[in-house]
Amino acid sequence: MTTDVDPKAVTAPAVAAFGISKRFPGVIANDDVHFDVRIGEVHALLGENGAGKTTLSNILTGLYRPDVGHLELSGQRVSFDSPRDAIDAGIGMVHQHFRLIPTFTVAENIALGAAQDGERVLLDMASVERRITELGEQFELGVDPRARIWQLSVGEQQRVEILKVLYREAKILIMDEPTAVLTPLEADALSQTLTSLTRQGRSVIFISHKLGEVISIADRITVLRQGRSVETIDAAGATRESLAAVMVGREVERVERRGVGALPGAPVVLSVHELIAEGDRGLPALRSVSLDVRGGEIVAVAGVAGNGQRELVEVLAGLRPRVAGRIEVDGEVLDRADARHPIRMGVAYVPQDRLGTGLAPDLSIAENLVLKRYRRPPVSRPPFLRSSVIDAEAEVLMEQFDVRAPSSQTPTRRLSGGNVQKVLLAREMSGRPKVLVVSTPTQGLDIGAVATVHQLLLDAAAEGVGVLLVSEDLDEVLALADRVVVMYEGSVTGVVDASDATIASLGVLMGGGCSEEGT
Amino acid sequence: MSLASRVGLRLEPRVENPRWMNWAVPVCSFLAALLVGAVVLLITSQNPISVYSRILERGFLDSGSLSGTFISATPLLFTGLCAAVAFKVGFFNIGGEGQFYVGAIFASGIALALGADAQSWIAVGAMVLAGAVGGALWAFIPGILRAYFRTNEIITSLMLNYVAGIGATYLIFESNSFWRELSGTGAVFPKGKIIPLSAQWPSFDLGSLVVPFGLLLGAVVAIWLHVLQRRTRFGYEMRVVGGAPSTARYAGMRPARVIVAVATLSGALAGLGGAADVGNFRHVLDPKGLQQSGFGYAGIVVAALARLNPIAVVFVSIILGGITNAGYALQGPDFPAGLVGTLEGLILFCTLGGEVLVRYRIVSLRRQGVPA
Amino acid sequence: MSVNSNLLVIIFASAIFYGTPLVFAAVGELLAERSGVINLGVEGMMLLGAVSAAMVAANVDGPAAVVLPVALVAAMVAAGLGAAIHAFLVVTLRVNQIISGLALTIFAGAAGLSSYLANVWGLGKQPAMNQFGRMDLFGLKKFPVLGPILFDQTLLTYLSWVLVVLVMVYLFRTRMGLHLRAVGESPQTADSVGVSVTRYRYGHVIAGGMLAGVAGACYSLTIVPTWANGLTAGEGWIALALVIFGFWRPDLTLVGAYLFGALSSLSFTLQARGIDVPTAFLDALPYLATIVVLVIVSNSRISKRLGSPAALGRPYEREER
Repeated sequence: MTTDVDPKAVTAPAVAAFGISKRFPGVIANDDVHFDVRIGEVHALLGENGAGKTTLSNILTGLYRPDVGHLELSGQRVSFDSPRDAIDAGIGMVHQHFRLIPTFTVAENIALGAAQDGERVLLDMASVERRITELGEQFELGVDPRARIWQLSVGEQQRVEILKVLYREAKILIMDEPTAVLTPLEADALSQTLTSLTRQGRSVIFISHKLGEVISIADRITVLRQGRSVETIDAAGATRESLAAVMVGREVERVERRGVGALPGAPVVLSVHELIAEGDRGLPALRSVSLDVRGGEIVAVAGVAGNGQRELVEVLAGLRPRVAGRIEVDGEVLDRADARHPIRMGVAYVPQDRLGTGLAPDLSIAENLVLKRYRRPPVSRPPFLRSSVIDAEAEVLMEQFDVRAPSSQTPTRRLSGGNVQKVLLAREMSGRPKVLVVSTPTQGLDIGAVATVHQLLLDAAAEGVGVLLVSEDLDEVLALADRVVVMYEGSVTGVVDASDATIASLGVLMGGGCSEEGT
Repeated sequence: MSLASRVGLRLEPRVENPRWMNWAVPVCSFLAALLVGAVVLLITSQNPISVYSRILERGFLDSGSLSGTFISATPLLFTGLCAAVAFKVGFFNIGGEGQFYVGAIFASGIALALGADAQSWIAVGAMVLAGAVGGALWAFIPGILRAYFRTNEIITSLMLNYVAGIGATYLIFESNSFWRELSGTGAVFPKGKIIPLSAQWPSFDLGSLVVPFGLLLGAVVAIWLHVLQRRTRFGYEMRVVGGAPSTARYAGMRPARVIVAVATLSGALAGLGGAADVGNFRHVLDPKGLQQSGFGYAGIVVAALARLNPIAVVFVSIILGGITNAGYALQGPDFPAGLVGTLEGLILFCTLGGEVLVRYRIVSLRRQGVPA
Repeated sequence: MSVNSNLLVIIFASAIFYGTPLVFAAVGELLAERSGVINLGVEGMMLLGAVSAAMVAANVDGPAAVVLPVALVAAMVAAGLGAAIHAFLVVTLRVNQIISGLALTIFAGAAGLSSYLANVWGLGKQPAMNQFGRMDLFGLKKFPVLGPILFDQTLLTYLSWVLVVLVMVYLFRTRMGLHLRAVGESPQTADSVGVSVTRYRYGHVIAGGMLAGVAGACYSLTIVPTWANGLTAGEGWIALALVIFGFWRPDLTLVGAYLFGALSSLSFTLQARGIDVPTAFLDALPYLATIVVLVIVSNSRISKRLGSPAALGRPYEREER
């Protein structure tokens, strides 16, 4: 490092990528990527799943080495052999899924984060705590260094993650989908933190796929598409539509929204009235939620993850007890927290955790397809199962739902995400349900699979099934739903007809506000 | 950098399992173990060929030995089934040992209670039932603690082994209980009452082979378990719960009940072993002998080697029984004690290692990664 | 001194004497479990240590000050090798930890290698030539009541106290200890900050094995003069229970070890005095107590502060990258 002021360094970007390419067997993850981040700038990396954002950030943090191209820090060419090099060079990553140990204190986690620094045998927790407090004041990231992680809220935990990298003197922070787990209030606080960081000379690279957020938080936006850096845009002039167009490369087509929703006179198949339930830690998760779903309509539950949606579907599926309120399926009351009851009453449920909850990964496709019907004829003649029936039905369903797999005996853990989802939908829909509850059905799927799933949901509605769709993707919500129920902190903040809803108005409701024009 | 990555190797999960591996790998592991054992023998100035051939001879080769092997195999068969059934569901029942003892206690108790006048088939049947019930009760406790109190079953079942052992010892050595022979030498040197002749389990002659009733019973039970696991609704539930309890709950099953049921079943199997031990072989409650034999722990080895498959347990128990039997028969100055355990341990190590090859393959390391 | 306090003194002194191997074995297992690996082979490793120490003590002639340390080293090496097998299987090959540990116990245990080696080395025929005698520490033996209890023990007991202190400091006040605890709670997190999960697991499993070896050596060098197959009589399993009973902390483990020791020597001692006590109940008490403790630990809020290392028993597979 030069000690004189290098004229290049004064105007050089904090970090810049030149022609970065990286391939893996069968796929080109990054293809000639160029971008640069100025000192004191918040720079967003925008792109869909599979656009190359993660690979690029892995290269920046030293996990991978580019096949072609190089990086420069403050005008100096650098090459990282390991994550350690990147950290020493001042690059720190704040992960989407926190790397924190719940039983340790904040200070212990941060001391652990500095595991490779220094040679001292004995820990000096006092000085770690002091430094944490200092940094907290400097960047408005106050946290009690002695608190244990399990005692902290999600927003506070994220602060610990940020402090971890600041403690190691990061000048460039890379944040991966940081607001995915935050409430709107916490997201605002984060935004202020970013301002505080940049005012003090730090640079932030902000990875996201959320258009609105990126426009409001970033200074400049680099859009990645299929591994390439397509364009770098100033946030000031950008709109959602213009960004979406760049991201996708064409005008975004809306999925055909079907008619006006439920057929006139269609019965209410699902009625939830003033439902109250608790979350895992005993805190209230649902505070008097009411909603209706008619046969043939798609009702979407929109909201940032963690506002009670999970608890709502779990109560509906009989996996969580309700404290108060009433649930009726086609007029019949659902009372106990017993999963067999909703199943018998015709409630189908496709959970968010596909392989962990929705399927038994070691069992075959055929065996999974009978998961909810194995107790009775025709699938079984008690006490025996009838494998001929099971296999025959599996063949039919796999054909009908276009499940691609070597055979119906293939264990489901070997299927791709899209096929897993098809198996789930095949199973749930083949049971002729009255209500179909699906939770984030297209998360992590590629575009083709997303389209297939959307079509399947529309088909279900067309057959008179009442569909309750929990989704974090507002575009998906607007495309599929007839009505949108917005949840925030366990309450319903608004129920809107899809034709009246806009991303902006929904966003307001999701943030806890009331539906007001122009907010 | 780890040693492995320096050497350039990495384990990668297999996508498909060629059928032939399912038997090729265990067989090769077995041979590998014998090889290592041979090395150990050589280092300690023994002749491996002579030792192995004597084991083969005294374990399997003549009908007298084979009959003895069947005797050694029978308890292993039951404790092997006990462990296999439980482990498959993810319930690590280490308590087969204690459940075996309690089965022996109950079975011997009822045999003595029925007395010498009882009809044979009633006495034997009662012993079978009593043994199963005893073992079941003993496994029920860790089952409940795991299912409803989230308490790790490994330690609880292990602790109960000791309690059972202490209990059995108490019955014979520290009290004047019903089980204890109080007349004759029994008044001075504690020993158990011998069960009446009518309660002693038969053995069947097949030519010059003698097959104990216990072994036949065990084989039948093994087949029954196989059918249970593969073809019944309960077996289906076992497999789903064994995979993930969250999936089971989602499907409307009750994982807690399944686990308790399987735990109880597993204990009943070990208890049957205890009953067989008293009924077919020892004819008496023998706490010292039981504790020395360690059938419960050996059963876990059997189950592991049989890859938790009930039918395979039958065969593995015979093989291990043969080695054990040979060990007894050959005990003496020129056959080192402790060889049986050493060989068993080696076989298990090699099998565990070989198992890895079934699940993973060794791949040479190139800087690879998963696409974003 | 009245008969009763004399009795108490004997009970406590024996508790410490017989509890010492438990302390070594349990602290060793605690280290392994803190790294996330459960090793059920403690009994086997203890026996390996015992037989190796016995071999040295019975066959090597020389001054005690030389022979005894050599015996200890032999014990540590033998048991450490056994632990290394387990470590290789569960860390590198990701084999099921329960089964591997059991295999180790069967391999090395009373029906296995330890007896085989004893046979080959001709042990058990004559008593050891050297053993650890009681040491009067700093002449404090004469101190009333506590003197004979605490300060009339063997060197190994005093070393065990030093061990407990050192491991406490290690776990909670050093960076390596922090790293170790991180590996046991969340290997992914530890890995992501550059702590080598593999090295920590190997290291602590083997260290645990070596301490189990010392525990075994306690038997052949202090408790029992002549080798007998299986002389540890299942104490290895108790050590496993002790780790839980002590909430994975060395200080509590020490207390637990002496408690268990007291309970077992209690029945002997009382009987010898002609006091008739149902020994079966006393004998069973430690095991029942462990079950109770385990249920409590698994169910209350305590588990957040004093529970088992979260990743205990699960193999670590780094996300393939």
